[in-house]
Amino acid sequence: MLEEALEHLVRGIVEHPDEVQVRARRIRTGRVLEVRVHPDDLGKVIGRGGRTAKALRTVVNALSDGKFVRVDLLDLNEAR
Amino acid sequence: MTEAEQETVAKAAPDLAALEQEGEIAADYVEGLLDIADMDGDIDMDVEGDRAVVSVVDVKGGDLVGRNGEILEALQELTRLAVHRQTGERSRLMLDVGGFRERRRAELSKIGGEVADEVKRSGEPKPLQPMTPFERKIVHDAVAAAGLRSESEGEEPNRFVVVLPA
Repeated sequence: MLEEALEHLVRGIVEHPDEVQVRARRIRTGRVLEVRVHPDDLGKVIGRGGRTAKALRTVVNALSDGKFVRVDLLDLNEAR
Repeated sequence: MTEAEQETVAKAAPDLAALEQEGEIAADYVEGLLDIADMDGDIDMDVEGDRAVVSVVDVKGGDLVGRNGEILEALQELTRLAVHRQTGERSRLMLDVGGFRERRRAELSKIGGEVADEVKRSGEPKPLQPMTPFERKIVHDAVAAAGLRSESEGEEPNRFVVVLPA
């Protein structure tokens, strides 16, 4: 559900909604949601001073039943 | 144009149809999130003065406000961006959840009035806790209604109101 919620939140604010991808990974300390967006949209999802990124993290963590979820924002071409 | 000037222009000609459209876009965005998160809630849309207001009422299944409204602020920020993406215009839309802003408004109005009375008696300026721009505006209005002046000092997110003696 969290991936879907994050995807919805991000798709609504970018210029290329069809190119938004969210992938969940498990790491030792918990969960990571990786969001990939069109390179032109990366600045938009980060926002001035990281404001938008912070808002996305706040809302996602509000829906995660008290478990910390890391949210990484990447451009589609970035390898991981 | 500065932000203050833009606000003046917006106030001069509130475009009702445009504000209603903002409300529709915002309601779709928030409703989509509620559906995915399996939360219940009814969405009310309104226009107050020169801004669209979208309120989620009877929310069940989760917390979208946060202890100090930080979740609500975050969701409002994202909702404004969603509106901006579709209209191309910067949005000043207000989002409320479960009447939080309404209650906060009443509480801050009361605080503003009480502090103004205190400053009238003491003759000393009094700084308040850091607040969001929305909250400071309510306090400034309450202080002005009590016949005193107030200023904001400090940098976001720690900007705060100082109530000044006459």
